[in-house]
Amino acid sequence: MMGKRRQRLRLVGLALAVAMVAAACGGGDEGGDGGQQAPAAQKGGVLRTATTDFGFTNGFDVTGEYLGSAFTLYGALVRTLVGYKHVAGAAGNELVPDLATEIPQPTDNGLTYTFKLKPNVKYAPPLDRAVTSKDIAYAFQRINTQPLAAQYGVYYFGVIKGMDGKAKSAATKVSGIETPDDQTIIFRLEKATGDFGFRLAMPATGAIPEEVANCHKKAGDYGRFLISSGPYMIQGSDQLKFDTCDAQKPISGFDPSKKLYLVRNPNYDQATDNSRTNYVDGIKIDVNTNLDDIFQKVETGALDTSFTDDAPPTLLQRYSTDATLKNQVHQNDGDRTWYITMNWATPPFDDLNVRKAVNQVMDKQGMLQAWGGTVAGEIATHIMPPAVLNEQLKADYNPYASEGNRGDEAKAKELMKQSKYDTNKDGVCDGAACSNLVMINRNVAPWTAMEPVVVASLEKIGIKVKARELASSAAYTTIQTVKNQIPIALNAGWGKDYPDAYSFAAPLFTKEAIIPTGNTNYALVGLDQAKASELGIKLPSGAQIPNVDADINACQEKTDVKERVTCFVDVDKKLMEQVVPWVPYLWNKVVVITNPSVTKYEFDQFSTEMSITEIAVSNKETLS
Amino acid sequence: MSQPVLEEQFEPAAPESAEVARARSSWELFRVRFMQDKAAVAGAITIVILVLLAVVAPLFSRLLGHGPNELFDKMRDPVFGLPKGPNGEFWFGADGVGRDLFVRVLYGARTSLTVAFVATGLATVVGVTLGMIAGYRGGVTDTIISRASDIVLAMPILLFAIGIATVCSVTAEGCLGGLLQPGLSLVIGIIAIFTWPNMARLVRGQVLSLREREFIEAARSLGARGGRIMFRELLPNLVAPIVVYATLIIPNNIIFEAALSFLGVGVPQTTPSWGRMLAEVASGQLFTVAWWMMLFPGIFLLLTTLSFNLVGDGLRDALGPSERS
Repeated sequence: MMGKRRQRLRLVGLALAVAMVAAACGGGDEGGDGGQQAPAAQKGGVLRTATTDFGFTNGFDVTGEYLGSAFTLYGALVRTLVGYKHVAGAAGNELVPDLATEIPQPTDNGLTYTFKLKPNVKYAPPLDRAVTSKDIAYAFQRINTQPLAAQYGVYYFGVIKGMDGKAKSAATKVSGIETPDDQTIIFRLEKATGDFGFRLAMPATGAIPEEVANCHKKAGDYGRFLISSGPYMIQGSDQLKFDTCDAQKPISGFDPSKKLYLVRNPNYDQATDNSRTNYVDGIKIDVNTNLDDIFQKVETGALDTSFTDDAPPTLLQRYSTDATLKNQVHQNDGDRTWYITMNWATPPFDDLNVRKAVNQVMDKQGMLQAWGGTVAGEIATHIMPPAVLNEQLKADYNPYASEGNRGDEAKAKELMKQSKYDTNKDGVCDGAACSNLVMINRNVAPWTAMEPVVVASLEKIGIKVKARELASSAAYTTIQTVKNQIPIALNAGWGKDYPDAYSFAAPLFTKEAIIPTGNTNYALVGLDQAKASELGIKLPSGAQIPNVDADINACQEKTDVKERVTCFVDVDKKLMEQVVPWVPYLWNKVVVITNPSVTKYEFDQFSTEMSITEIAVSNKETLS
Repeated sequence: MSQPVLEEQFEPAAPESAEVARARSSWELFRVRFMQDKAAVAGAITIVILVLLAVVAPLFSRLLGHGPNELFDKMRDPVFGLPKGPNGEFWFGADGVGRDLFVRVLYGARTSLTVAFVATGLATVVGVTLGMIAGYRGGVTDTIISRASDIVLAMPILLFAIGIATVCSVTAEGCLGGLLQPGLSLVIGIIAIFTWPNMARLVRGQVLSLREREFIEAARSLGARGGRIMFRELLPNLVAPIVVYATLIIPNNIIFEAALSFLGVGVPQTTPSWGRMLAEVASGQLFTVAWWMMLFPGIFLLLTTLSFNLVGDGLRDALGPSERS
């Protein structure tokens, strides 16, 4: 139920917490081929990369895996009914049929979806058989199994009939999914769901062969036995013996602590695929814990690029200011919002005026500089990144505008004066509630670097915080445990799961999303007395916490894209003006550095990582 | 400053030769011996200067017109956010966020010296008390205290520190009713917890040999009780090793604070600390463009620990020359 994660060494943040969302960046490829004559993209060669740590959240088992870098690899390994073109920008956020022949219109008032599968898609060796509708149904059976369940299972539970995530075995059929023949699959829904197509593009719903996967009953187990339905397969996949479960030995090309090597799937038929070009013959990802070494190798040409690790700002500066290196820096939109959360149930943040004042006083420009300057991203002025709202609401909507985004102290004080915590009406909070507030933060850059900026801004309106710096995972766990009642936190970010606003609205702001642990509705929007008692926390006296459930549900039922987006734009505005759950401050970019051996760079907007299938290299290496 | 001392050292007899040779008090002996050690004297002077700088840090901050946490945009590159180096207004340049490194280094001395003195003091009090009790009482008491110190020394200190810092961060009060707060007090607590056993072992060893000596026998036969013997008879004889050892663990503790801050479990961002400054410059290869962020805190850290080490060595030689030979 959370924004999928992107791993970042500098900001490392993988761990238990569901919502951990580590950072980073993306956007239009600004490098381009300026001036220099780049060789034309051609097929062949090996994409040679390295990472400091795979950091997979579920051992690369596609049913539960939730890491952005895994998602981009699945783009080359696991085909779903519908998917994306693995490119940057709006084109990469658009749904296209993949295993399905076309994207069908729902029937039965939006409750039934019938897909036809392409007949000639075959699994990689040793399976060598056609992908059927039963393989898709089986993937859903795995999602529905308690020990295997995907973190984003909520996109299906209570949506597809018979799915609740509580099945004991993956052999249990889902009542709402029918497979009348090998080429047809029918989904029957509990309620109309306008973004159902996007949910069918999540990797967990891709083809999984039961005869191999039924041996892997624990979360994460299937990762080292993954049978590809895509253009590439894990090296050594053809050696897998699957006659009995005991005969299955992990595929040799993948060792989570050492490497992941992909080679072409000999059974792949390009004619069945409109969304992948598949330039390279192979992909090598080695684990190298020395980040500096990785980037040195990228510079010397021993590697083509880094995989998921971000280049340090010092290196970015050198590349960006050097005419010969400039073209090797690629910057793309991360479709991710970074924000400060304020808890509605802890004074002084139970007062709407205080929340507004914090937004108005915050020096977002200072925060951006601390993060790494304009190369790191764009200042966020509202909750959802423009891409998930089809660019209908952008940075020009800025309800708490200030000159140069430095924060407006005078306006903030006007807002503070209207608050009950400013008893002498001088614009500075003087209630006891405003001092000694715990502010959770991460203990690594850039969060530590932003901390003094935030502390100084808050002090201008009399809010005095005690910053507590924790390791990334501990910071998330702490703010996701409702009982801790953390008033304010600086560590959180949220990335889209799929390019629809629902994946931003529901997990973050509905009352249903408030759960005792693993909670991501940090602001506790929609909290009422009953829910508070259930959670064992105290509601501040007289607190009127707004509820936006009805607004979000109304949008969710809409299937017309235009109406849907307009509806969510209004939700975003209402949140910013009447609920004020956060101070959104950054829409980050994903910045990738390549060697000139990369003749064509492409970014996969869905996973917000580099695109495996659309990158071309000039080296003549082979993987055997 | 050391000149008169040297004269005294080389011509000790001259002024006194007229008088009847008299025994020097042990303090005099110590003073003369210590002053002979030029390195130790230099160390002591450096420490005094550092303490003075730490004390007057707010004065500098007032003179310059800004505190340790004030942010200066002009000291950062707008595109990459990288800091700018020393100039006429910012003598040590800026840190990664655009704060005046000079003021922060001065305030950092406060943090380091506070940790040095308070944590070492705590560890000394606890270590000496427990060490004396263990050595004097012996038997079960000794076993319990000695095993306890073994257990503490066997604990994975960094994991422990990270765990405590996390647990104590959730509420505004911290843990143990506000006694342990993430930040300086927690760092001091952790350092004290992990340093006392060494002191206790040292004191216990000394007490084991002292307690068999005649003057203790005498005190005992006069009917003195354990507490009196320990604090009135034993303790004065332990002062020398305790002072020497405490001085020598001070630099270790300063480094320890730096290490904890380096790992992110030390003091918060807004508290200047040399260890934190070094951690900051080490992350993301910042030192390749911002040498000043490594140089200045590094020099101060080095000077401080070196000075304490030199003074410690000097004290050891001056207080117990026999041990040396």
